[in-house]
Amino acid sequence: MPGSSRAKCVRLVIRQACAILAIALVPAAVSGGVQLKWRHEEPLAADEIRPAVARALGAEALFVDARTGQRYAQGHIAGALLLNNESWDDLVPKFLDAWDPDKKVVVYCDGGGCDAAEEIAGRMRRELQLHDVYVLKGGWPAWQSR
Amino acid sequence: MQKYLCFLSCYLLPAMCAFADLHWDKPLQEFNKTPDDRKVEAHFTFKNTGATTVVVKSVKTSCGCTTARLDKKVYLPGDQGDIVATYSYWGITGSLRKLITVVSDDRPDQPVILDLRVFVHEPFEVKPGLVYWRTGDPAEAKVVRLTADGYPVKIKSVTSSNSRLSVSLETIKSGEEYAVAIKPTDTSQKESAEIAVQTDFPADAPRVYTIHARIK
Repeated sequence: MPGSSRAKCVRLVIRQACAILAIALVPAAVSGGVQLKWRHEEPLAADEIRPAVARALGAEALFVDARTGQRYAQGHIAGALLLNNESWDDLVPKFLDAWDPDKKVVVYCDGGGCDAAEEIAGRMRRELQLHDVYVLKGGWPAWQSR
Repeated sequence: MQKYLCFLSCYLLPAMCAFADLHWDKPLQEFNKTPDDRKVEAHFTFKNTGATTVVVKSVKTSCGCTTARLDKKVYLPGDQGDIVATYSYWGITGSLRKLITVVSDDRPDQPVILDLRVFVHEPFEVKPGLVYWRTGDPAEAKVVRLTADGYPVKIKSVTSSNSRLSVSLETIKSGEEYAVAIKPTDTSQKESAEIAVQTDFPADAPRVYTIHARIK
């Protein structure tokens, strides 16, 4: 093959490869974008709050740790109070002493499949008739990972 | 097409039928309990109805309040098993639900979800369990209703832990309905009180209900 024909052929191959890459990039970008969007906008229940939003509340939120006393002792959100089903009767007075009607209550547990936070938040609404109560989306692991 | 169907019928279908399979008798179980029961135990029985051995890789519960016990992990064809789930609900009332996730090697990507539901009937309802005033509010009494549901409950005494938040009991219908009025002396400063309502129910271990009062 003469040199000019070979160069032409190489250019053609490169051009075609670039065209294929460009075409492939479009769906890849769309798919990646959609996946990222989904990851960020994981469905949030009406009573849930995202860690970033809860963090932004600062002193306007009272954090409640619904895990066991042992898990609480291993680490918890700064300023969070312990309140769990096991010791509800003993711990509620201390929680109510710290509670402020003008602050939001954010309850968390270990995230994932844990449902202690939902239970404690439910008891606060049902038994104490508190209304501004939220469950931290993803719980303690999500709080730590940000 | 014929070749494809032949392949499907000769190889794939028998292979699919030969898959191990755990058959669960009652993957959803419901119980009615009282707060004093404090826990519920459910037996989720199953049988390996497939042709190959199944290994149960994990049994996970949705909270520390629930335990699930399985005696062995390997189940030969025809073997039966029993997961004993114990849920301690610590006196919580209402509709409660716990899930137990079982992963076995025959379908590692499709865990079986066992569903344990409990309705805990509260025989004596205290509403609301918290009354509060803001500092500077009028020092008016707030009323808490106590209602028996299903069993006659008598109130033996009502006492406040703080003399600045006094209490008075009104019997609306003996054994069925009461009202406790809580009145602050004044609301000039923050106060807290736990009000103990001593009942005669249940007869063998009478319960004390607590009303919380705060001046914020």
